[in-house]
Amino acid sequence: MSVIRTEDLGKTYKGGLVALQGLDLEVNPAEVFGFLGPNGAGKSTTIQLLLNFLRPSAGKAYLFDQPVSCAKTRQRLGYLPESVNLHPYYSGQRLLEFYGGLLGIRSVDRARQATELLERVGLVDAAGQRISTYSKGMLQRLGLAQALLNDPELLILDEPTSNLDAVARREVSDILLELRSRGTTIFLCSHILSEVESVCDRVAILQGGQLQKVGTLEELSAATGSRMVIRELPPGLLEALSATAAQVTLERGVATIEVEDQEVSREVEQVLREHGVDAESVETATQSLEEIFFGAIGREEVR
Amino acid sequence: MRAVGLIAADSIRALLHQRLLVALMLVTLGLTVVFSVLLTEGREWAGQNIQNSMVIEGGDQLDAESLEKTDQGIDLAGSFILAGFYWFTALGGTLVALFICSTAVANDLRRGTIHIVLAKPVSRAHFLLGKYCGAVAVLFGYSVLIGVALVIFAYANELDLNLAARYAPWLMLCHNLMVGSVALLLSLLIHPLLAAVVAYFASATFLSPPNPLYFVLPSYDRYNIFMLIMKGELIAPADIAMLTLYAFDFTAIVLLLALWKFRRKELL
Repeated sequence: MSVIRTEDLGKTYKGGLVALQGLDLEVNPAEVFGFLGPNGAGKSTTIQLLLNFLRPSAGKAYLFDQPVSCAKTRQRLGYLPESVNLHPYYSGQRLLEFYGGLLGIRSVDRARQATELLERVGLVDAAGQRISTYSKGMLQRLGLAQALLNDPELLILDEPTSNLDAVARREVSDILLELRSRGTTIFLCSHILSEVESVCDRVAILQGGQLQKVGTLEELSAATGSRMVIRELPPGLLEALSATAAQVTLERGVATIEVEDQEVSREVEQVLREHGVDAESVETATQSLEEIFFGAIGREEVR
Repeated sequence: MRAVGLIAADSIRALLHQRLLVALMLVTLGLTVVFSVLLTEGREWAGQNIQNSMVIEGGDQLDAESLEKTDQGIDLAGSFILAGFYWFTALGGTLVALFICSTAVANDLRRGTIHIVLAKPVSRAHFLLGKYCGAVAVLFGYSVLIGVALVIFAYANELDLNLAARYAPWLMLCHNLMVGSVALLLSLLIHPLLAAVVAYFASATFLSPPNPLYFVLPSYDRYNIFMLIMKGELIAPADIAMLTLYAFDFTAIVLLLALWKFRRKELL
């Protein structure tokens, strides 16, 4: 069973704007899946298609192997939108109780669960306060609390820490790690690459409505290439390496070899062996998510 | 159906927090009170004038026939006051219905609150029905309020609450349910304000038979019982039943169309 599955999913808005094209994606149970892409890449459109807010122009989307139009499947998911818009006339406590009712939580349990969640997201002191008086950060925390109300099997989070300060971000990351340890599937859409890197098992990168890369960080790093650093250079090695497709730079007696794919990597390893360089003396630097991301969207990394 | 009830309750709460709606209802009630007081004064003044003219015409003594004419004149003035009261409250009720129903879903879309609600196990049909039920509850409350006010007003002014006037709040509610459902449907297609205006004017009332739209658009004429109240004419219970049936059928059909549209609507 897959938790999320899309088959050739596409969306073209009125006016001809193609927001998403041929998206094939599969998210497995208990997986934390990072969904990345620059603004306008089609991330929010994908989420809105998964939640049946939009109708696909092409393809199909499934949640828990059911068509996304099936309302019952949403019993098993929690959703935190990028802009948390909540009913301003409720207090935090009453709002969670209202949503609890929609989720079918028994009335006797609603108040208790609401209080527990408000405590968990650090809003217990503002529980009785009208939501219209909440700050952006408080709204974001309350949004997260409502997403966790039904102890969901799937959590769809669209920029969950965008309005939070550093401390609150850490708290949210801790909650996500805790949910991951409990086996909750998380579909995380975020601009904060370090956050995605620290919690996600697999990552998909979207650009211009098309899927550029998908896989674990190791897979993406390997597919994108790697960097080897050699401090002690045997004679003739540089010449031999220059004959390969690897890019070699020499600085202060240290050679840095950059390889773009695994075939070239194997070729380089062969050359190194022939020159008596053992694996221990080679430092391999895998690419960070940031490097992978900018590589995938075809832009220079901004440092 | 639990979701429908919860969304209806939430809808009522949201409506009661809308200052514009509360202001509209208060202004309607305030104007009705002012209008009624003025008409009551006018009635007393008219009664006095009728008596004075009778006295001038017939000398110092009024015969039985003149007294009966005086009473008839005063009764007519009373019916006119009741009809005026009804006209004001009916217009106010229609405006309230148009406002509530045209913004019922549109406000949630504008505020973005619809997304979290529909990410819960709530079908779009339940959401829309919940919103409409919330609006109906507020309109029902308004009609009850008007009914009570009508009775108090008639009692305080010693007016005869004729049969037509007794049915007025119910017919007002039926009319508002129909007009509201049209506003709700149109608000899914066009701007809510425009939806309210079009819903008000999309009626056979404003057309005559050669126009083909006359046979297509709903007719609210029979729900406007202003003249019946004024003339003190009766409405047969069978007519009330037919008008109620028509209103419920019409509303159900329009709501089905609204559901069909809403299920396909993109919630951007």
